[in-house]
Amino acid sequence: MKTSLPLFRRAFFDSWRSTLGWGAGLAAAIFLYLPLYPSIGGSAQMQDMIDALPAEMTKALNYDQIATGPGYTQATLFGLLGFLLMTIASVSWGAAAVGGDEESGQLELTLAHGVTRTQVVLERALAVLLRVLLLAALVFILVRLLNDPAQLGIRPEYLFGAAVLFAGLALLSGTAALCVGAISGRRTYGLAAGAAVGVLGYVFNAVGRQSPDVEWLMNLSPYHWAYGNSPVSNGADWAAAGWLWSISAALVLLGTAVLNRRDVGA
Amino acid sequence: MAHAISTRSLTKRFGRREVLHGVDFMVETGSIFGMIGPNGAGKTTTMRCLLDIIRPTDGEVRVLGKDPREGGPALRRRIGYLPGELFLEGRVTGRKLLAHYQAISGPVAPGRIDGLAERLGLDLDRHTRKLSKGNKQKLGLIQAFMHDPELLVLDEPTSGLDPLVQQEFHAMMREAQHKGQTIFLSSHVLSEVQQTADTVAILRDGRIVAVESVSGLREGAVRRLRLTASAITAHDAGALLGSVPGVGHVEVLDSGDGGVTVAATLEGSIQPLVRMLGSLQLTDLVLDEPDLEESVLKMYSSPVGDAS
Repeated sequence: MKTSLPLFRRAFFDSWRSTLGWGAGLAAAIFLYLPLYPSIGGSAQMQDMIDALPAEMTKALNYDQIATGPGYTQATLFGLLGFLLMTIASVSWGAAAVGGDEESGQLELTLAHGVTRTQVVLERALAVLLRVLLLAALVFILVRLLNDPAQLGIRPEYLFGAAVLFAGLALLSGTAALCVGAISGRRTYGLAAGAAVGVLGYVFNAVGRQSPDVEWLMNLSPYHWAYGNSPVSNGADWAAAGWLWSISAALVLLGTAVLNRRDVGA
Repeated sequence: MAHAISTRSLTKRFGRREVLHGVDFMVETGSIFGMIGPNGAGKTTTMRCLLDIIRPTDGEVRVLGKDPREGGPALRRRIGYLPGELFLEGRVTGRKLLAHYQAISGPVAPGRIDGLAERLGLDLDRHTRKLSKGNKQKLGLIQAFMHDPELLVLDEPTSGLDPLVQQEFHAMMREAQHKGQTIFLSSHVLSEVQQTADTVAILRDGRIVAVESVSGLREGAVRRLRLTASAITAHDAGALLGSVPGVGHVEVLDSGDGGVTVAATLEGSIQPLVRMLGSLQLTDLVLDEPDLEESVLKMYSSPVGDAS
């Protein structure tokens, strides 16, 4: 029996529960936040409340833009809860793909079969990619569905661009986790690397927005590359999307190259 | 091709720790070759080098005529491997897991997996993580045997198996040998290997201290002997026994009206002993199975380089 991409199929289909779980989480976040926009984001009362908050805090949370539908969606969903859920999902998949598999002792048996190490990394990276894309597609579809009922007024092409950046940003953390996992053979190191990319990106953006003196920090923040111009309101910065996706690809290739040169399970 | 596996000065260092210090051995095609040694001797490291899971620091390895590093997937499809520590997690049934390994190894004959599962008494429809250690081991054996590979590399294959299943596994190995397959297996106890293997290599501290055929090991091994004879004095019986080459530790256990009972040990060939026994009026004779374990333990404890 010859099937194509056997490692991809196993990685993708055996984790359907996890994919479904994260999808449900994202859907819950969308249905909790977005329908509230007409009563919260657009109301004068809410604006007064936000004006009363410390300016630093509003900036850090991107709440300075929630008076409009697209800004509200950008700040609450893509910038905060969605970003968090998606990053955790992607990092956990990335860290488990190679490092976790080696640590649990299962990679040894896989590599003893008729596969190359390059094939193992690439097929499993593909499985991470496809799951991230599925979740991003789900977010795109659900936001489109709520666009009219929740009076968000988001332009579909901007939403599409934002979803591409959303996926790219999560994928960057996920591939960082996969890369470090493949280099170290440890799931924990992969998790730490993926989390570091996500968290530092968020923090550098939040701090960088506080004052012109520390603005340079934002240049180091993938979060800022993706969301700096608020893509849901203004359309995607496609160059940033290109960067996110290319760095992810480079990380996967780096992980492949190192895994090919080292002992496994030693 | 005369040798399924050959290594020359196989050396492996992990950082500063050298685990294999120049291991040389050859496994003849179609033979069953056992590698025994205490835990940490380097058996698993040697096997992993054969599968290109880890790379030798120095030396040469040939598996089915190829360097494992160069052979790649095509070479590994011709090998069945059972790792020393088998981890099978995930929420999949044994059947689905085997289907996955089938997709990444050599072609599996129809019905082969079910046949093997039936022989070993394994339910393929249970989730792997709920399986006991022994049942996981069976799953590991099936994935190694199912594509009838030219070479089987089995690290501690019987660990966790109950005696009945071990017998079945021994039968599977002999059948594989009849089909011309080569088997390289490891164990930390000789008794697991001696029933099936043709040749045994003893590995200690990253060096091969002895390579012996099992029959050779049997000859060199020490047997225990006890006999009772009538119409002879204890002194004469002792002297007669003592004159036979290979006999030692002669001890008179009992001498009375019923005859003389003497115990001794025998090393080497039994023929001279049998000739001597003909001159006695024996009433009882016990000649034990040779204790290979003991002769191997002697090799373990003797200094490296002096395997006698």
